[in-house]
Amino acid sequence: MTQQNHAPDSEGTGTGLDRRSFLKTGLGGALFLGTVSVTAGLSGCASAPAGRITAEGTRMDASYNFRFLTRDDIQLFQALLPAIVGPGLPEQPEARRQAIAGTIERIDSGIHQFGPANQAELRRLFDLLNFGLTRVTVARVWSSWPNVTTSEADAFLERWRTSSIGLFNKGYIALTKISNVAFYGYEDFWHLSGYPGPPQYAVDALPQFHNA
Amino acid sequence: MQSNDVIGQGLASGWKVTDGATLTENQTVEADVVVIGTGAGGGTTAEILARAGLSVILVEEGRLYYQKDFKMDELTSYANLYQEGMSRVTRDGAIAILQGRCVGGSTTVNWTSSFRTPDETLNYWAEQFGLEALTPTAMAPWFEGREERHNMAPWDMDPNVNNDILRQGCASLGYSWDIIPRNVKGCWNLGYCGVGCPTNAKQGALLTTVPGALNHNAHLFHGLRADRLVMDQDRIDRLEASAMGADGVTPSGITITLKARHFVAAASAIGTPGLLLRSDIPDPYGRLGKRSFIHPVNASVADMPEKVDPFYGAPQSVYSDHFNFLQGVNGPVGYKLEVPPLHPAMSSGVIPGHGQAQADNMARLPWMNSVIALLRDGFHPDSPGGTISLRDDGSPVLDYPVSDYLWDGLRRAYHTMAEVQFAAGAKRVRPVHMDAGWYTSLAEARAAIDRLPMELHRVRLFTAHQMGGCGMGARPEESVVNGFGEHHQVRNLSVHDASIFPTSIGANPQLSVYTLAARNSTRLAAKLAG
Repeated sequence: MTQQNHAPDSEGTGTGLDRRSFLKTGLGGALFLGTVSVTAGLSGCASAPAGRITAEGTRMDASYNFRFLTRDDIQLFQALLPAIVGPGLPEQPEARRQAIAGTIERIDSGIHQFGPANQAELRRLFDLLNFGLTRVTVARVWSSWPNVTTSEADAFLERWRTSSIGLFNKGYIALTKISNVAFYGYEDFWHLSGYPGPPQYAVDALPQFHNA
Repeated sequence: MQSNDVIGQGLASGWKVTDGATLTENQTVEADVVVIGTGAGGGTTAEILARAGLSVILVEEGRLYYQKDFKMDELTSYANLYQEGMSRVTRDGAIAILQGRCVGGSTTVNWTSSFRTPDETLNYWAEQFGLEALTPTAMAPWFEGREERHNMAPWDMDPNVNNDILRQGCASLGYSWDIIPRNVKGCWNLGYCGVGCPTNAKQGALLTTVPGALNHNAHLFHGLRADRLVMDQDRIDRLEASAMGADGVTPSGITITLKARHFVAAASAIGTPGLLLRSDIPDPYGRLGKRSFIHPVNASVADMPEKVDPFYGAPQSVYSDHFNFLQGVNGPVGYKLEVPPLHPAMSSGVIPGHGQAQADNMARLPWMNSVIALLRDGFHPDSPGGTISLRDDGSPVLDYPVSDYLWDGLRRAYHTMAEVQFAAGAKRVRPVHMDAGWYTSLAEARAAIDRLPMELHRVRLFTAHQMGGCGMGARPEESVVNGFGEHHQVRNLSVHDASIFPTSIGANPQLSVYTLAARNSTRLAAKLAG
């Protein structure tokens, strides 16, 4: 929507949110979440969608056009996915790389449909995790994401899952939900849930599976 | 097999259907009535007005998807058919909101449960909001009419195992239960209602009222977002709308102006208050967007000894109202018990977890049952609902505080669901809560549930039912529209969707929406024809 401002009421405006979030998070979290995108932008973090990137440097399929995730976001998920869906990933290295790459592409295409408001929320979350200062002070992840081990990524997720700070729980849910859905929901990994897929007799009988 | 592809055949026969993504020039279109939204309310309204001989334009932000697109796949359906690509949440992110965004609205993706508005709810509205005309007796013929229009009848096949577990548990505990009426015709019992019915069995707006309107010359614009209603003195002069690109989410820059004698907002209990807020529609008593209700839902999953295959079969066929009005209409909060279908993406998103624990959860999916409790909000001073407001980009968002009154109900519901699941033979039960584990006995589960923190983000909360925000009532001081959905202040504006409910319904709301829209549209048609 174009910028259509409506007279703010006492309940639902941005300042109310910031105040409540700040109270909930205690010191720091909300403040960082609110300002990090600006800071990250000023300090030169990659904030443009990655677009088409070559398979060689990044393990990604160059035919996929990233519309939301940046190169930094992609590295973030390359580090997190082994901790989130690792037990279901193939062990063979090339198959494993492809499974991770495909999941990140589906995360990107899913987020494209989220719309501007929820995309802005995710942008703040991803920038907080990618920007060195906040990665260390808020997420307490000491290495940059390409150097984070799976057990370090798991420890980070556990901290946010069990935190008494609601905003960190929300961040945990956002990261794991988009990852779990993009992974377990994809045909290649249905077997991990014992899901055989749509009944074959229906697929055989229904026209939408046969008309090209 | 003869094709029952109503949409494909209608398009071929020359229906007036315009895909916003194909528009290349700004333009102005005129009709007697513009109906905003094509779900339960908008579809019903458009059909009734068009059959009465009025010229009708239907405006839908989502796109037209139908049988050719419905391939029983979660990821594409969640991305295309649901609001915000299935990422819609309350403002603080604590409650996930499942809501349709496509022609047919939520009726295209709902699980087909078709309940009348409970008598207790209608009587409460009569007493509290001056809506004496909506008594159960007065409404009965309107319910019957809509049940016939949408082919609603109690499900006559055996419930799937997932639903039968709810039946068994209730039966062995002496809790009342019954079979759910569904709006289907020739249902294959596949289990994919939530991703768009692949067989054209579901008789939602997409295959009933929207085609009915188009057969009577209505003009459907899809991929067209209603931005704002523009007033001229005390009347609405026009609707300004933005065409969306082929991806369905990015505006193309083309704008359409829609002029009419009368405007009907049926854009849902989130979309309609949002539209009226963006439009600065008169709101002298500050009621717009207030008292928004959702039937807050919590869930419990069970590991069963026999296979459940919760991804197959009619998703909802058994319910229990035992606890819905047990302590009176306005006592401690009541809840309705149902089950959800469990496909891999939905399950992995709803059950919080990662790593080996999540892999273990998912590996047991074929043996998993889930029960959900739908809380009946809005019937008590401590359950005033939430507030719709606008975000920076103009989109609406629901701010929904969870009161202690609701937390009490959510904890009781966790207890009941665990009790029912163990009574049906569950080996292990896990409340869907961040701090819950798998419990192997009812005693262990009860002790744990008593200790679980009832807090935002820890309790996993969901809703598929959005209601209120443009509440109806006899007194303008406490409502937005009257008992016919007519706006108190703006004479050529009506609201025909779930946003007019002055409380939640206490049951899946589609039949309540169809019914009030049919009643109010019949009156509107007579007024406009006269």
